[in-house]
Amino acid sequence: MDLREITGAWDHASLPANVRVGEGCYLERKESFARFRSICEPGLTIGDRVKVYTWTTFNVEPSGRVEVGDDSILVGAVLMCAERIRIGKRVILSYHVTIADCDFHPLDPDLRKEDAIRNAPGGDPNQRPPLVTSPVVVEDDVWVGIGAIILKGVRLGRGARVGAGAVVTSDVPPGASVAGNPAKWVRPEVRADE
Amino acid sequence: MNNSTLLPHDWFGKPLPPNVLLGEGSWLYSSFSFLHFRSERPCGLRVGRNSGIYSGTFFNLGPEGEVEIGDYCTLVGVILSTNRRVVIEDYALFAHEVVIADSFADIPFGPGEGEGRRAPPTSQTEVIIRENVWIGARAVLLSGARIGEGAIVGAAAVVDFEVPPYAIVAGNPAKIVGWTRPRGNGIESERASSKP
Repeated sequence: MDLREITGAWDHASLPANVRVGEGCYLERKESFARFRSICEPGLTIGDRVKVYTWTTFNVEPSGRVEVGDDSILVGAVLMCAERIRIGKRVILSYHVTIADCDFHPLDPDLRKEDAIRNAPGGDPNQRPPLVTSPVVVEDDVWVGIGAIILKGVRLGRGARVGAGAVVTSDVPPGASVAGNPAKWVRPEVRADE
Repeated sequence: MNNSTLLPHDWFGKPLPPNVLLGEGSWLYSSFSFLHFRSERPCGLRVGRNSGIYSGTFFNLGPEGEVEIGDYCTLVGVILSTNRRVVIEDYALFAHEVVIADSFADIPFGPGEGEGRRAPPTSQTEVIIRENVWIGARAVLLSGARIGEGAIVGAAAVVDFEVPPYAIVAGNPAKIVGWTRPRGNGIESERASSKP
């Protein structure tokens, strides 16, 4: 198989070794992996026929693992992962969609000041206070609109729809549609297979 | 103060404007951040020590615009658009795609543009961000935003009012949804445990 057939103009053999890519995928730019720091094995698993476009970035911490199911389309997702983000099959994530399984800074003001110092130029990021994580699950056939933000611990049920710009802080039931900041239910359940 | 006009790592290759001061140990990604910088103030931007100003940050300042950033601050792609004054105190953490703007924020001036084009009238209210504040991704801080010490502004929240010290605000329009520290003056009993 010529790798370039599935990766645009570049050869994705230069991807991190702990990235698994299925058959028939299209990964547009290797810059999507500029902030990929996972040391998990594997750190990223991509199913078959997945499309990953230019604006997508895998910001994965050393402890993070991301999975993307078959036939999903990542138009411009920012996946900020310190533990686990699992994306199902036939999922569509639009431009600037942000999914984070962690807040990345402490809520406590004193710990946060320490975090700011460790994270600053010249600081030692390995000495940062521990992160609080909670995995995110996006089930099969979910659509997420432009610019929506999905925060830690959220499960988007099968076939759920998230409106543009929504900020989702709690679970969305299968087939439900939500929108707004904070996201609220906008219409009754519609089964994905209807 | 490191007042050299060229950043050693700069791909854009333009000198910094003369009225910009970067403190010792601070890091700025590129002079590209001044593409729309027209401040004529004696000091248009002052950055303290050990602060990191990362890719995508823009200082879109009008002729009267002034920005002060403290020590140990992290700005990951913040757009600041003002013809007035924005103060960011020490230990601030700004996540990606935050916008701080007052009524000046219309169409930015391009390079070499601006002669004969008047700046639109700007708000009279400064934006003040006190020490140890954390601003979540894609939040919008408008004229009148005054964020108290230790407060947190949630992802994509829109704020144009005074946020008390140690409050957590979220939503559009933003509301107080919790506190980062017991306040000891009776306020903490109000919705202290509620979640967004």
